[in-house]
Amino acid sequence: MPSSQPLPPKENALFKRILKSYEQKQYKNGLKFAKQILSNPKFAEHGETLSMKGLTLNCMGRKEEAYEHVRRGLRNDLMSHVCWHVYGLLQRSDKKYDEAIKCYRNALKWDKDNVQILRDLSLLQIQMRDLEGYRDTRYSLLRLRPGQRASWIGFAMAYHLLHDYDNALQVLDDFRKTLTKSSYDYEQSELLLYMHQVMFEGGLYQKSLSHLQQFEDQICDKLSLMEARAQLYLKLDRLIEAEDEYRKLLKRNPDNRQYYFGLEEARGLISEDQKLQLYADLRESFPRAMLARRIPLSYASGEKFRSLVDQYLRHALHKGAPPLFVDLRSLYTQPGKAAIIEELLLGYIASLIKCERFDEKDVKDCPSEPASAILWTYYYLAQHYDFHKDSAKALHYINLAIDHTPTLIELYVTKGRLFKHAGNPIEAYRCLDEAQSLDTADRYINSKCAKYMLRANLIQEAEMTCSKFTREGVSAMENLNEMQCMWFQTECAVAYQRMGKWGEALKKCHEVERHFVEIIEDQFDFHTYCMRKMTLRAYVGLLRLEDVLRSHPFYFSAARCAIEVYLHLHDHPLQDEPTKEELQEASLPPVELKKLRAQQRKAAKRAEQEKQEKLLQQQREQREREQREREQRDPHSHHQKRAHNQQDKEADAPPVDDLQPQKLARVEDPLEQAIKFLQPLQEWGSNHIETHLLAFEVYLRKGKPLLMVQSVKRALKVDPNHPQLHSCLIRLHRFLSNGDLLSENVSHPAVAAVLNSETQPLFSHHQEAEQLNKEFLEQNINSLPHLLQGAKMMCFLNPTREAEAVALVSRFSDAYQGVTVQTCTDILKAFQKGEFGETGRQEVDNFKTLYHQRMPHAVDFFSGQQVAPSANHNHAVEEALTNHVSNLTVEDGTN
Amino acid sequence: MNIRCARPEDLMNMQHCNLLCLPENYQMKYFFYHGLSWPQLSYVAEDEKGHIVGYVLAKMEEDSEDEPHGHITSLAVKRSHRRLGLAQKLMDQASRSMIECFNAKYVSLHVRKSNRAALNLYTNTLKFSISEIEPKYYADGEDAYAMKRDLVSFSQQNDTLPADASTFYETKTPEERKRLAAIAQENRNMEE
Repeated sequence: MPSSQPLPPKENALFKRILKSYEQKQYKNGLKFAKQILSNPKFAEHGETLSMKGLTLNCMGRKEEAYEHVRRGLRNDLMSHVCWHVYGLLQRSDKKYDEAIKCYRNALKWDKDNVQILRDLSLLQIQMRDLEGYRDTRYSLLRLRPGQRASWIGFAMAYHLLHDYDNALQVLDDFRKTLTKSSYDYEQSELLLYMHQVMFEGGLYQKSLSHLQQFEDQICDKLSLMEARAQLYLKLDRLIEAEDEYRKLLKRNPDNRQYYFGLEEARGLISEDQKLQLYADLRESFPRAMLARRIPLSYASGEKFRSLVDQYLRHALHKGAPPLFVDLRSLYTQPGKAAIIEELLLGYIASLIKCERFDEKDVKDCPSEPASAILWTYYYLAQHYDFHKDSAKALHYINLAIDHTPTLIELYVTKGRLFKHAGNPIEAYRCLDEAQSLDTADRYINSKCAKYMLRANLIQEAEMTCSKFTREGVSAMENLNEMQCMWFQTECAVAYQRMGKWGEALKKCHEVERHFVEIIEDQFDFHTYCMRKMTLRAYVGLLRLEDVLRSHPFYFSAARCAIEVYLHLHDHPLQDEPTKEELQEASLPPVELKKLRAQQRKAAKRAEQEKQEKLLQQQREQREREQREREQRDPHSHHQKRAHNQQDKEADAPPVDDLQPQKLARVEDPLEQAIKFLQPLQEWGSNHIETHLLAFEVYLRKGKPLLMVQSVKRALKVDPNHPQLHSCLIRLHRFLSNGDLLSENVSHPAVAAVLNSETQPLFSHHQEAEQLNKEFLEQNINSLPHLLQGAKMMCFLNPTREAEAVALVSRFSDAYQGVTVQTCTDILKAFQKGEFGETGRQEVDNFKTLYHQRMPHAVDFFSGQQVAPSANHNHAVEEALTNHVSNLTVEDGTN
Repeated sequence: MNIRCARPEDLMNMQHCNLLCLPENYQMKYFFYHGLSWPQLSYVAEDEKGHIVGYVLAKMEEDSEDEPHGHITSLAVKRSHRRLGLAQKLMDQASRSMIECFNAKYVSLHVRKSNRAALNLYTNTLKFSISEIEPKYYADGEDAYAMKRDLVSFSQQNDTLPADASTFYETKTPEERKRLAAIAQENRNMEE
């Protein structure tokens, strides 16, 4: 396509040299050639040259100038595909993908068959999941480049992602026919398996089976082939073949749970006896397979269960298998099984003490058990009682175990966990510190120790601990952030939150959020890479993973923390210490003030720019330095480098905003920020009731009654009896019945009427919130968490009933349910925070005494003297205790 | 404990497990790079709740002039789940896929000179042997042992057919190659 502003031959040659310099990353030369063209007054405004100069500047990190040149170039030549393409590339480098897509589309208007632009466009479309657009672009590419295999694959994949299986298969099959058959060709094998995937997802089971049979010899991924076939036989009800296939798979890998379930299905087994018989046979065939012994424990009941679990326990305790409890824990939800296990274990102990056998009857026939058998039995029992929240017995057994073998690290880890569950994060951390000191070369123990330190609000100590395993030369925090160590950052955030360091907490939450952004960005390179490699099944898996990436528990925890902190900052905005300037400003007339503000904004912007530039320069230097150093002394990083290519390429990209705690804590729109974290939770975490409870808190503060109702309704679907849901209902009721509040937020009276009629069923048609609360309390008279919410609402609705409300939650009854450390701490905090007025504050000491008797390890119920450090407490513990106790007085934004 | 081939959605949890257990860490993209280049070679072990307690992250070494061979980038089992033989099970599954999908004739790895436990596992349980010492391989200046495990003999012991038998047994004489292939086939027939 000829340019709309053609250059004479000499300048045209120079222009080509700009393009070449750009491709070869010789930016300085590029600028030199551009200058030669632009310095000629006749071409000073030549659009494409200006654009290319801008693009070159962008690569040198001179963003502002880049935009200026590119925009000017485009204005001067709106009909040039080069100018539009360049503008698109610029937006793309700034990650403004939607804008970039628009630019590429404009570019294609002027040069519709430009393959380079079509390719760039297709990448952005798949990245942004504009699947229809992607399909159309891939079609153009196939039309223009039918000889390239990526053209075919891309087009077929577009159909697949749009669930148009027939067309996808048609294209794939046409492409397959062009391939020559060879004996070993990994890529061809992958293609054939991808075709199976498309058929399978399209429900074409018979076709898929024939396909696999036809090409069996060309598929080298035998495992995928067998798994696919087994699944297809099940779908097609060809059960004998399915059974055969699953047995072959089991032979290959007897530790795969899915194969056992497949085999059960193929055999059509339903009754307990049938299944147990199958597993009895399988144990013979695969004597070393743990699953053949473990799975039937879930099916068996009564005496059969007793005998099976007896064998299972003895085998593991004899061998010494630390994760035995974790392995069996899921059985504890089945009635009666935990009791049988407990009985057996107590029997083992009695017998082991007496005669070193699991059973006295074995004395004659069996050799004695190793000394470790009783150790592992104690260890199991400690975890067993911990599960049942019986901390006294749990501690008894873990101490017996430690007396038996004081050098076993696992014991201290478990002891720490017991203390954690019993409400003593400080003692818990001390146990982990001891464990860690027994093996300083093991990072797992080190990580656990750091985690427990964070739980005890010892952030610096945790960082110190982690630094034993992070790269030298950078701070541990920095290295952990670089390595996307999200567990650490989330635990840190929550610790800061507990300590009332809101800005620090937010910084950590945002760091986690940035990891997610980065991981979504990571897809980019794989769009072309996987088509080359033909690993299409994995690629589709990646796309599907990225679609729901923020459903990951790491995101949930970080987002919950961020939302809670933002809610707190909305309720209790931080007051800056007023500065001298601010005091002066207060006396200025409005017009002057406005001028001053404008000046300040400009100055701030300038300063920010300068800072960014400086930072950029520093970063560049540091990166270069690091790169050099790494290459010299760290060969291990060589194999990481390939993966980091993209980052190296973008080395000149502008630095992202620093996350500054002070700035974050003084956020202007905390609720808007909270919503940014909330939305992904609503989309992917809607099975957590917390999502909707948090959403309610946000929308209540935003005064959005329709969204409040929506949140309540969604929460009801997850757990209609959740205690905190009641508090949402009462506050919603109050909001709707308060005419002023409602009229302020709902513009049309008809909406208010709809709201009222919508919510009547939610309130069981009670006109009065008091009545609703009364009924709630009556219905949940023996559930402490419910009583807490009901009592809180009693005060909320009528502050004169404080004493009555306090009385409701400061009693103790054996009939109470939900008496956990967490609930009792929540009550204590509510008293301390004044949610129950003065009466509640006065109740604090009584309440502590009452629950200290029941929960002797929980630090929150320690009285003043107990907090004072005893002789063996080191400095860190003192600090932790002070932190821990003092943060009880810190208000928590959500409740 | 459940052992299966890793899927893209496992990679983030593998990274988590890696960060908990080992000093050599990688960004997500490097995990993606493995999972999307050689999807058959990485395996995970998960507990009853589906949490990953161990993994092997593996790749093919393709740019070398050497014979095709696999490489273990990272292998970890949480301390809480040791003594179950998970490492061996993970390694055996990965090795098998290396042979079947990529015709790998051996698999290599690096281990810290000071890591006696790992060295013991690789040498005694997994039949690796030290091929050379790489000085200052690790970021902190520690030397590494480069280790290898022969997969040709592994394939015979485990009735595994290579992707391409004609080159898999190449270093042997044609007669030898035929004989080995026949043994493998016979073993398979007998098992079935």
